[in-house]
Amino acid sequence: MVWEIGLPLPFAASVHDHPTDAELSEACRRGNIRAFERLYQIHAPRMKSLAFHLLGSRADAEDSVQEAFLKVCRAARGFEGQSSFSTWVYRILINCCYDAIRKRQRLAESPVISDFRTESNVPLKVALQRALNLLNERQRMVFLLFEVEGLRHSEIATILEVPEGTSRSWLFEAKCQLKRLLTEAPK
Amino acid sequence: MKFECGDLDRALANSELFQEAREHLKTCAACRREYRLWNEISTNARELHEEWDTPELWPTIRQTLEAERKPERLWWQQGKMWAIAATLVIAAGLSFFFWRRNVPVATAPSTQTTADFLTEQALREVEKSEAVYRDSIDKLSQLAAPKLAATSSPVIASEKERLALLDSAIAETRANVASNRFNIRLQTALADLYRQKQETLRELLTTNTKNNDTKN
Repeated sequence: MVWEIGLPLPFAASVHDHPTDAELSEACRRGNIRAFERLYQIHAPRMKSLAFHLLGSRADAEDSVQEAFLKVCRAARGFEGQSSFSTWVYRILINCCYDAIRKRQRLAESPVISDFRTESNVPLKVALQRALNLLNERQRMVFLLFEVEGLRHSEIATILEVPEGTSRSWLFEAKCQLKRLLTEAPK
Repeated sequence: MKFECGDLDRALANSELFQEAREHLKTCAACRREYRLWNEISTNARELHEEWDTPELWPTIRQTLEAERKPERLWWQQGKMWAIAATLVIAAGLSFFFWRRNVPVATAPSTQTTADFLTEQALREVEKSEAVYRDSIDKLSQLAAPKLAATSSPVIASEKERLALLDSAIAETRANVASNRFNIRLQTALADLYRQKQETLRELLTTNTKNNDTKN
């Protein structure tokens, strides 16, 4: 079995003759630093992107990815294999991002992207990025994982610890909400 | 059921309803726009994936990990040295133990060979004695043979019959001994049969001699 989480094509090509999720998780459990490096090479680009969308800043995203990897390395020995290793890594990253958001709220910082306004003249990509910030937490998370980062519903369900049908339902809600926001008349 | 603009969202979630939506989309420009937007959301979402180089990120993570592990590694290295030392001591102890244990074991084959040789030698001596004994008894038989053939008294006939029985038993026992030379019980039984035959012949010859003395 190859990595459970589907990879972006350019990345998948470089992973072709590399260990499976189980082999890599076993190597990481033994504390093999090369295995952690391989894990980083495979998942860091997508993890950075996800963290960026959750936190709104590349610097914060890098900090969260770093923290997540350190947590993974420290806790890998105790990984019990109830889910796939890669989905476990994403779950840790999401928790790190939530911690960063909570910390930011405690410090009364305003979100990096707090102002959203639909404008008829902005490209759809920009409008979409802004509209994403108006979604509720679960809708935005599922949308980011499925539509932006290309994870499957089965993987998202494992990461968020919800049934697969719930993941599909939240995605539909997210897209309906985005459609509504993007077709609304500018205020 | 007539499909209306408000049904589009439900149709997007339900493939059965979507067949009806297709017909509606042909005639409704507003719904067509919404449907196009629905698809464009997914298309544009993929472009939201952010990629940027972070050449320092992994080295930083690695350095942090190595710094955290250093004390553990030193302890482990120390532990490893102790483990190697302990293994060597145990290996040396086991080697000595087995060497000591093997000393008598190493001499065992020669002892066994000697024992086998002695047994074989003893058996050969028994067989040699038996052969000498058998020859002696045969000589007695030859001496008794004219008397046995000439005399028709019931006592002699009885002795003659007994000797025949003993000869038959001796022949059978010798055959058994030939197939199992080391069976002491058979050897003893054979010796006993020879002894009985010898006794019988001796009595027979003695009786004749006594009879002759009485006659004289």
